[in-house]
This record gives sequence, C-alpha cells and structure tokens, in this order.
Amino acid sequence: MTPSPLAFGGRHPNPRNKRAAAVIGVGHTDWVRDWQRCRAGEQPNDSLGYGLEAFRNALKDANINRDEIDGLIAGPTTAYERMGELAGLNPRWGDQSDAVMAVSQAVMAIEAGYAEVVALIYGNDQRSVGTQYGGPAAMGGNAHLSYVYHSPWGFTSQGALYALTLQSYKHARGFTEREMGEVSVAQRGWSSLNPNAIQRKRISIEDYLASHYVCQPLHLFDYCLINDGGVALIIAEAERAKKLSSRPVFIEGIGRSDLNSGATSLESRVDEFYLPAQQVAAAQSYAVSGLGPKDMDVLQVYDSFSVHVPLALEGYGYAKVGEAGKFLRESGIGPGGKLPTNTSGGHLSETYMQGWAHQVECVRQLRGECGDRQVKDARHVHYTSDVAGKCFSVIYGV
Amino acid sequence: MSATEVKTPRPVMGLYDKPMWESVRAGAMKLQRCKHCATWLYPPGPSCPKCLSPELEWTRVSGEGKIVSWVVFHRHYLPAYPPPYNAIAVRLAEGPTMISNLEGTMPEDGCIGRAMRLVYVTMPDGVMLPRWRYEG
Repeated sequence: MTPSPLAFGGRHPNPRNKRAAAVIGVGHTDWVRDWQRCRAGEQPNDSLGYGLEAFRNALKDANINRDEIDGLIAGPTTAYERMGELAGLNPRWGDQSDAVMAVSQAVMAIEAGYAEVVALIYGNDQRSVGTQYGGPAAMGGNAHLSYVYHSPWGFTSQGALYALTLQSYKHARGFTEREMGEVSVAQRGWSSLNPNAIQRKRISIEDYLASHYVCQPLHLFDYCLINDGGVALIIAEAERAKKLSSRPVFIEGIGRSDLNSGATSLESRVDEFYLPAQQVAAAQSYAVSGLGPKDMDVLQVYDSFSVHVPLALEGYGYAKVGEAGKFLRESGIGPGGKLPTNTSGGHLSETYMQGWAHQVECVRQLRGECGDRQVKDARHVHYTSDVAGKCFSVIYGV
Repeated sequence: MSATEVKTPRPVMGLYDKPMWESVRAGAMKLQRCKHCATWLYPPGPSCPKCLSPELEWTRVSGEGKIVSWVVFHRHYLPAYPPPYNAIAVRLAEGPTMISNLEGTMPEDGCIGRAMRLVYVTMPDGVMLPRWRYEG
C-alpha cells in the first residue's frame, strides 16, 4: 500500500470543523463497586440502568438543565427508543453509535445545525449477563462476518483476530514479545495511580512473560477486562459550550478512514495492520486541527487488546513504520515515559467501556482532574481507534 | 461424550457459500473467479469487489498457498476443539487469504512464508474441512 496522506487527492474535511463543538459534561458508573458486586454473583443493574446513572452524573458534571439537550445518541448495546424514553429526552436529532462514531456524529449534527447540545449515553451489563465474545454466538457477528465465518476451523473470539494480527506484525516488523509486554506493564503503571481502575496491581515484564497464553501469541495481560458499567458525555456547539460551561474541552478535529477490503478474510489486519486507513484518518484530523503528533501531551488508544497500541503508534505518526517496538522500549508510554498513553489504564486495566471511558479520560486530563496520574499542563489529547478497520482520529484540546 | 457434543461448528451458509462447501465435500475446492478481471473471491459473494461484475465462475483452486500468520488456542471455546489447537492464515496462490488449520504438526516461530498444500480432512462428525499441510 502506498503511504496515504495523499489519498483521496489530499482532500480533507472542512477546516470550519476545528473547535466546532466541546465536551461540557462527563459521567460514569462506579466500575470498581460493580466489579465487586458482579464477582459476588449480583446483577447490580442492566445496560439501561448503567447508562442512566452515567447520564445523571454527566448532567451534574455539566451543571446544566436536562431541557438544554436537543440531541441524543444511544450506544450500541441499548435500544435507542427505550434509552430516550427513560432519559426523558424527545430530541430534535438522534442516532445510535459506538463510542468514537458517536463523538463524530455529534460534531457533525452540531456543525450541520441539527442539534446544539447532544447527550451520548452508553451502558453495558456484559459481565453480569455473560456476553460472549467468542464461540458460535459471538457478539458482533451480525455486523462483522469475520467474527463468525472461521468458526468451522475453531477460529473464534476477538482475541484470536488480534493474536493473528500480532503474529504477522511480529514477523513483518521484527517486533518482540517483550516489546508487546511493555504495553500492559505501562498501563498497569497508570492504573495503579487511578482510584477508578479495576486492576491496580503493577506488573513487571517478567510477570507478563510468565503469564499464560490465551491465544498465542497473546498473553492473559494482553486482553481487556469484561465488566459492567456506563458512560455519558454531553457535547455542545462551541459558542453554546462557552456560555454553558466554565471549562469546555474542545474537539479540535476528527478524521476517519475505513479499510473494508479483505475484512472477512482478515487481510486488512494480517497484511496491512490497518495502517493505510490510520494514516488517512490521522492526516484528516491533523489538517483540520493544524496540530500533529508533536503537539500531543497524551495519547488514548482503543485497546481491547494491547496490540492496538503499537499499531496506533505507527499509524498515527508517533513512530516510524517498523519502529513501534523501539518507541515502546526507549521513549516509553507509561508513567515517566515520553508519550503518556492510556493514562487511566485503558481497557486492559481500568474498565472495558468499549472506547467510551477513553473520552472521559481525555476530558479529565485536559481539565487537570486526574490526581496522581495527571499529565502536567496537558493541552492536547489524542484519541485513536481502529475497531474492525474503522479508523478514527479525534483530537481534544483546551 | 455423545456425537452431538462434538459437532464441528457449522459454517456460515449464505446463498453463495453453498457451492463452495459442496466442492469441499467432493474433495476439489472451488472458489469464484471473476470472468472480467480474473479476481478470485474468498469468502464467496454475489459480485467481484474489484470490478463489480456479477459474472463469476466457480473454478477449482490449485491447492497451493503460503502461510502468512498463525495462532495457538489455549482456551476451550468449542466442544470440537479442545486446546491446544492451531489456526493459520494461508495466502492462496490465487490471491485470497483463508483462515484454516495446519494439519500434522503445530506451527512454530519461523514458519511464516512456508509453502503449503491443501488437504481435505473428515471431522469425527463427518464434516469435511479444507486444511493445509507443509509442502514436501
């Protein structure tokens, strides 16, 4: 594949999208409390209930009246209509999306004038109801044929898709098992400083290497948690945000690029590591925001599996292609590292909210609310996601 | 363990998958090849992703390929697959990549790039699967 900053004739989204909207409220559930309750065999809430608890907290955080809201996005795990019914919202615009698409859709709706204040609400009872991410009834199989197509050969589970990606990535780049371990070790370093994180015990590279394989080459520590919870965000049009909030966090720019070719047979992962799509998404967001990797104080990467992180380092321009391993070893992404990454502990260690909690961490780092894990004077935070080849780049700033 | 418990996971059986699985059962796997641009399709589908032509021809594959990635499962997900077992990605000589299993041995470091040969394996419940062996 050719390097892609010039793909699509170098065309980029309209520059007026820069700082078109801002996050004015964030809220979530108590993951640690609900983790313990689930472990004790309880079902603390359902997906709607988690979402609504998060929504109440987001309204409180934004300090606005619910009547201000005129747009609603429900996460993919709950019916849009029922969520709207329970949230008491009859908006003039609505949608249903996963985390990063929701942020992107909210900004587009605001930019187009369909809404000014959008509530984004997500809840997931995946732990207490035993949602399966492997086996014949794997979650997401209806949307992604690759999740179920290869089951006659025993090839199942999200982890297997990423294990297969990591194996060919190691071969293509000379990336090592020890370098892979740097990610889980760094994120545990961060989560040890985060009172909201479920797994807070620090681990060493030796602990990582000694841990068992689930699907080789992925170790246990390369896998995300599966836990219950909810997240809500309130995103407002920029001028409205300044009026409503004393501490808005602006969305500086968004880029997206999809790699669908070879999705079912996994060529887009195993051969290309989603790199061409990541590069286009990055270039779009950098063009809109006028910012680049050097401007970022914090990176947040969608990390259902640790291997997302080296792919993102290369795809979004933090390391040269082939040098993510060196970057992890020498620059570092943990506490004290040059590029603080997944500073909450991410999906691996804080909470698996399918990208939603990463947005909260972006906002809190920029508001300076992160306590022991706060990155000093953070001005720009970059969120990246490459779920199933839908590559996004979202830059937050103050 | 009863026969129903060791059922091989059933393939996704869309309209276009059926001819492929029939050819596998006959021990001569066929895939669709585009009549216009000669692109091979996997998995099967209604038209060519490269030129959009719906004119596709079921054509026998050479059975040659190259291993491009591999994994070893250490968790028990499926009754028919007690761990440890492997899965591999093979690039067919015709172009497409297929997820399957390595027969006869377990994959190991350094195997990426090795030449592979298609074989047909009958599972305990009678289902026939296209799998791969190292060439030679």
